[in-house]
Amino acid sequence: MPIDLPIHGSRFLFKLRAILFGLLVAVALNTHADDNADPNVKTNLEVSAYKKMSLEQLMDLDVTSVSREPEAYGKAPAAIQVITGDEIHRSGASSIPEALRLADNLNVAQLSSSQWDISARGFNTSGFSDKLLVLMDGRSVYSPLLAGVIWNMQDYLLEDIDRIEVISGPGGTLWGANAVNGVINITTKSAKDTQGLYVEGGGGNWLEDFAAARYGGTLASNVYYRVYGKYFDRGAEVYADGSSAHDSWNRGQGGFRIDSEAILDNPLTLQGDFFIGNNDTVPGGEGNPPADGTSAGGNLLGRWTHTFAEDNQMQLQAYYDRSHLEAPFQGANLGGPAIPPGTLRDDLDTADVDFQHRFLLGERNNFVWGLGYRFTHDDVRGAPLVTFSPAVQNHSLFSGFIQDEIKVLENVYVTIGSKVEHNDYTGVEYEPSGRLQWNVTDSQMIWGAVSRSVRMPSRYDRDLFEPSPAYGMFLGTSNSTFKSETVIAYELGYRGRFGEKFSASISGFYNDYDYLRSLSSTPTTILPLYWGNNLEGETYGFEISADYQVMKWWRLHTGYDFLKEHIHVRSGQTDLDNALNETADPQQQIFLRSSMDLPWRIALDANARWIDRLRNNNGGAAGTVPGYFELDMRLGWRATKNLEFSIVGQNLLHDQHPEAGFPGSTQEQIVRSVFGMASLRW
Amino acid sequence: MKQGLTICLSKWLCIFLLMLLAADARAQTKEYEIKAVFLLNFAQFTAWPTNAFADDKSPLVIGVLGDDPFGNVLELTVKNESWMGRKIVVKRFSRANEVKNCQVLFITQSEAGRLSRIISQFKDRQILTVSDIADAADKGVCIQIYTRNNKLRLKINLNAVKNENLTLSSKLLRVADVMSP
Repeated sequence: MPIDLPIHGSRFLFKLRAILFGLLVAVALNTHADDNADPNVKTNLEVSAYKKMSLEQLMDLDVTSVSREPEAYGKAPAAIQVITGDEIHRSGASSIPEALRLADNLNVAQLSSSQWDISARGFNTSGFSDKLLVLMDGRSVYSPLLAGVIWNMQDYLLEDIDRIEVISGPGGTLWGANAVNGVINITTKSAKDTQGLYVEGGGGNWLEDFAAARYGGTLASNVYYRVYGKYFDRGAEVYADGSSAHDSWNRGQGGFRIDSEAILDNPLTLQGDFFIGNNDTVPGGEGNPPADGTSAGGNLLGRWTHTFAEDNQMQLQAYYDRSHLEAPFQGANLGGPAIPPGTLRDDLDTADVDFQHRFLLGERNNFVWGLGYRFTHDDVRGAPLVTFSPAVQNHSLFSGFIQDEIKVLENVYVTIGSKVEHNDYTGVEYEPSGRLQWNVTDSQMIWGAVSRSVRMPSRYDRDLFEPSPAYGMFLGTSNSTFKSETVIAYELGYRGRFGEKFSASISGFYNDYDYLRSLSSTPTTILPLYWGNNLEGETYGFEISADYQVMKWWRLHTGYDFLKEHIHVRSGQTDLDNALNETADPQQQIFLRSSMDLPWRIALDANARWIDRLRNNNGGAAGTVPGYFELDMRLGWRATKNLEFSIVGQNLLHDQHPEAGFPGSTQEQIVRSVFGMASLRW
Repeated sequence: MKQGLTICLSKWLCIFLLMLLAADARAQTKEYEIKAVFLLNFAQFTAWPTNAFADDKSPLVIGVLGDDPFGNVLELTVKNESWMGRKIVVKRFSRANEVKNCQVLFITQSEAGRLSRIISQFKDRQILTVSDIADAADKGVCIQIYTRNNKLRLKINLNAVKNENLTLSSKLLRVADVMSP
């Protein structure tokens, strides 16, 4: 093989040859090293290097592995999926909603550049997905104003997220109201696990530019801290005709976390975040003038855990959360005085204290009980078209729960418990549940559960006026007697591991709902329309997911969901949406994921999803969002121990596709996104 | 001249890339090499009662129970090493009831389904049990090695250590998550 390359042809050709030659030699050298060298010599060298290291140094070495971390959730008798920080990293997700696409017991639909609908087991109606409770490090981010989660207000430095637990099925007994169809727990890493410098940056066609940095250090012996900041600019999505939907947004967030292990058996955490985001929006949809939306907020949380003895632990947590929202609305002409466009402004303050105590009583009873109090102060200044009355509202929520896990036989556990809450709208609410867990073998488990959960009224249900009372007529109003929506859920599940390579789970459910929100009309005058509790019905379905470790360096994951919904109007009552507004859900979803660790520290991941068509409803009119097949991919290369480059492609199969929303001038389509990223860990 | 410089730079770039690639290809399967060194370290940080050994001359035995993931790495690791003047040797066992004259026992992944039963046989045997099976420490193994954020971590069940009549050095406890009794 010639060492000196003869120069002819273009410079470009020469460079290409040089690179090819280099790669050839690299492959040759590597093959040589692997096949012919005495492996003992190589191992011996490495082992003797390791032998010189301290335990701390050994524990700092990377042992990158594609296989899933062993998790305690394997024992939980519920339909739970855990997304690890490593999986988020490998997926190329750039936001929490994108990371949630990895949980195949969720339906995740992107509405616009900054809006998402996320739900489990149905009820993922555009903008009204209100049956899923979300907590970040124990802080509820469910909006008591609008019901549901405003996803563009939730973010974190993804590198520092430890895991996201996604439970489909009711979680009221432990987590309280609004965990009707599921609970998402987002847990960030301890400051102890985020020591050192981390910097990332990049950009692309839709995720135009982004940058983030974190630094972690120690304040004293066994007291760790980190501070972080991040910023991004996201471009606009498009309308069906391909024109811009003028909904680009930018957002910055910063925060800190301090974890102390200075006092034995008394870990302490103090953390806080603040953010500000500007999202453009077009009230009224295509053809209308764009307007500015804003969201901002911050929180401060402290947590103290005390261990009395093994299996006897208490936790005290308190937080304060403040958020500010500005949402522009269009004007309207309803026959009376013209209603001008305007902006709805909301300021919400939340203070929350939560106490939990877990202890073993005798050999068989594992008790956990707790008390909580939450105070919310909400101040709304309405837009002419949409307003809330009273403008200022103080609300108290008292809660207590007790749960006992009883070891009935060596491998059979029964868990019973209930939450009891008192809220200012509906008074006392009960959320009991009973669970049975049978560990058939060490690696196979069958579980079943019956539980009741409620969705508490939000201000949207109770205090809404469209338009503002100043215009002397009402299109729609809320209902001061709106009750809690309820569900009684029956679940049956199986989870098992077959040898080292294969694991699978299946969970089935039958949910019986009462008092779901309906759109009712006033007798004879029809207007104003108002919220009723006139819907009821059943849903049933199942979720399957399976993991297969094909090789040490290659893992496959697949998931499938099936959902049937039968929601109907209570006899003698009416719903102008014909009971269709709540159920804009795909009947089936299929997920397929491949994670590969290739030579030369290259990681290749692909996430494919097929989402069934969904039928939605706008008043009496029915619409359809077609089913779609989409693919996200990430190629990552750890160039050195500290430096990593990656290319991420999202929604690669179509130039644009809709995921939710009623077909028409307000429906947006999601564009293909490609971005590059570099990250440095020091 | 200018072209010559370009060639020179390109060559250097190639060589640099080569070194990078060659180095990275090596960094792949070192997990069990580190675990082997861990086992040796654990022995250095553990105090056994004298009756844990048959006599003054018997070696310190590091046992492997189950399908062996180490290959010859463990032998290479303990070569020329000693513990309090005793030689260190490696033994392999396929069943729990075969385990005899052993001070450190690594229980491999193949035993995951039987771990609880295996552990019940090792109470009060003065054996430092180690495993990388999920929940091993919860099930009564003295030291569990697990992976977190691509790094190896240790979880120590002090109760299990006490039951085996062993004492661990504070150096080891300091770097591990300790489940206190």
